[in-house]
Amino acid sequence: MSLRVGTLLAAPVTAFLLALCVAPLLILFAYSFFRVDFVAISYDPSFANYAKIAGSATYRGLILKAFGSGALVVAITAVIGYPVAWFLAKRAGAMKSALLTLLLVPLYSGDLVRVFAWRVLLGAEGVINRSLIWAGVTDAPIQGLLFSPLATHIALTYNYLPFMVIGLWLAFESLDDAWLEAAADLGARSPSRFARVTLPLTFPGLVAGGLMVFVMVVGDYLTPQLLGGASGITVISAINDLFGTAFDWPLGSAIAWTMLAILMAFFAVGAMLIRRSSLVGGS
Amino acid sequence: MDRRLFLKSALAGTALGAFGPAGRALAATDLLWMTWENLAKDDYLAPFLDSHDVDLTKTFIGTDDEQFAKLRAGGASSVDLITPGLDKVSYYTASDLLQPIDFDKVPNAKLLYDTFKKTDLGKTDGQTYGIPFYWGINPIVYRADLMDEEPDWSVFFEGDKYNGKLAMRDYALEGIMIAAMYLGIPRDEMFTMDDKQLAEVKKVLMIQKSKLRTYWNSIGDLTNLFATGEVVCAFSWVPPYYDLKEKGLEMGMAKPKQGVIGWCDTIAVPKGVEGARRDSVFELVNYLLGPTYGKMLAYGGPYAQSTSAARDEIDEAQQEKIFIKDLSVMDNFVWKQNPPRYNDWVALWNEVKAS
Repeated sequence: MSLRVGTLLAAPVTAFLLALCVAPLLILFAYSFFRVDFVAISYDPSFANYAKIAGSATYRGLILKAFGSGALVVAITAVIGYPVAWFLAKRAGAMKSALLTLLLVPLYSGDLVRVFAWRVLLGAEGVINRSLIWAGVTDAPIQGLLFSPLATHIALTYNYLPFMVIGLWLAFESLDDAWLEAAADLGARSPSRFARVTLPLTFPGLVAGGLMVFVMVVGDYLTPQLLGGASGITVISAINDLFGTAFDWPLGSAIAWTMLAILMAFFAVGAMLIRRSSLVGGS
Repeated sequence: MDRRLFLKSALAGTALGAFGPAGRALAATDLLWMTWENLAKDDYLAPFLDSHDVDLTKTFIGTDDEQFAKLRAGGASSVDLITPGLDKVSYYTASDLLQPIDFDKVPNAKLLYDTFKKTDLGKTDGQTYGIPFYWGINPIVYRADLMDEEPDWSVFFEGDKYNGKLAMRDYALEGIMIAAMYLGIPRDEMFTMDDKQLAEVKKVLMIQKSKLRTYWNSIGDLTNLFATGEVVCAFSWVPPYYDLKEKGLEMGMAKPKQGVIGWCDTIAVPKGVEGARRDSVFELVNYLLGPTYGKMLAYGGPYAQSTSAARDEIDEAQQEKIFIKDLSVMDNFVWKQNPPRYNDWVALWNEVKAS
């Protein structure tokens, strides 16, 4: 296929992306410099909205909370995901396809279904609390199991674990066992082999899976809202309030773009890490 | 294809009603009504459509804000009739999106209850832009089997008996109104509170947050929370009270003496609706305020129309249910209004939730 034909074939997709993805983001960016006066947008550009975000402990806190949650869930899913991905790639054998399908089954159900399933498990009258009371571990239901940051992070981990496992599984699939055998022959113990061989060579998968999980956790507001209780507010729900209830599209746009800029920075660092680790792996 | 035709075509796949015989597809007047799904059931509208040469397409809204955002973003030219909250009409008029109601074409408007005739809400410069359509209250609903006595607003701010068992709607306007009523802030100052008053409100809302199990966002979710015992008392809408009572739970509904939040939705006609379409729209408005629709809404909703058109055709039990048996209930209402400093209210609400 000639370059010319390829360009022609890619043109509609490129135009589609520019019109429906890039253009709205640029409009949002432009709005972030305006201000609102009751229900009228004043097209007088300034950095006032960004200054407001920087000066507001609430918005700063919510942004920090979103990225903190993202980092925490990435860490948890990485710890759980490593052995799962290793097993799938190296030990599952003929069961690999079936297990991979099984891994993705939770994603086939809707977000709300999963949230309500967690409520059934974690609620005051839920399966876990009833079991604990039946076993005599506690006299009364543990209220903190549901409508708490704990519930939110359990559900977020469950929701996004498959994305981490897929990233790591792909990395493990391309990991040549000869490297590990050579390390063992040279006297490296298991922890050392993991730290000096497995981890560096699967690092691109960790970063790719981690970024996917991170972005989805940061953008998820339904799970914290429905499982997080009184502390379930997220920066995304605050943006939603600003666009909807308060009709403050400029401030909402500014927060959205602040988030986007930080995420892009994370992506840039991630891409750099993948490139560096590929170079290390290749050498 | 013009914008109207495009929108109608796009909606065709999802619109929930195709009314009457196929011949109506060639009807003289096409109307598009943006409204809540529960107000536009096929059987509610069938009598009107059977007697008028109108093809009605309905597009449903999820929130009042969504409706405004759609119109503000340029949708007004596509829509013939909208259903904004009485407190939100000023948003639309400030954006020059509405035309005044032509009362000559809406004779049933004469039957509006006095409260709605007298209110300044929905009006600008003496002209009505949003005509009150249906109304109700947002009370405290509670599990009578799990609470010792009927609560009032103080249950959300005082004592620790029900800590972790309460729920509040995640909505700045009502949340702050409740705090203001609890604090005894006069009704005529409620929507124009100064910084000092808002600081007091914030202080008690922080206390409230520490007592809440959660903030709720959908009434279905709240009903579920009551049913599972996660929540025993909440600032609510009416439906969980009746729904759970029907299922055998002992439910209570409290209308606090400090004030009850009353709500009312209006019907409004966007600017640019003209000629035969305008005439048909006002015929529809008149029907929506009339006895046939009102009776169906009273039993099917169940909600009260803003006119007395159907009142005598509704039995007393149902009148009681929709609060029209004794209209003095309205004396204690605090009707929702749009505060001039609403952005500050939303910021305060988010500060409390993020604390």
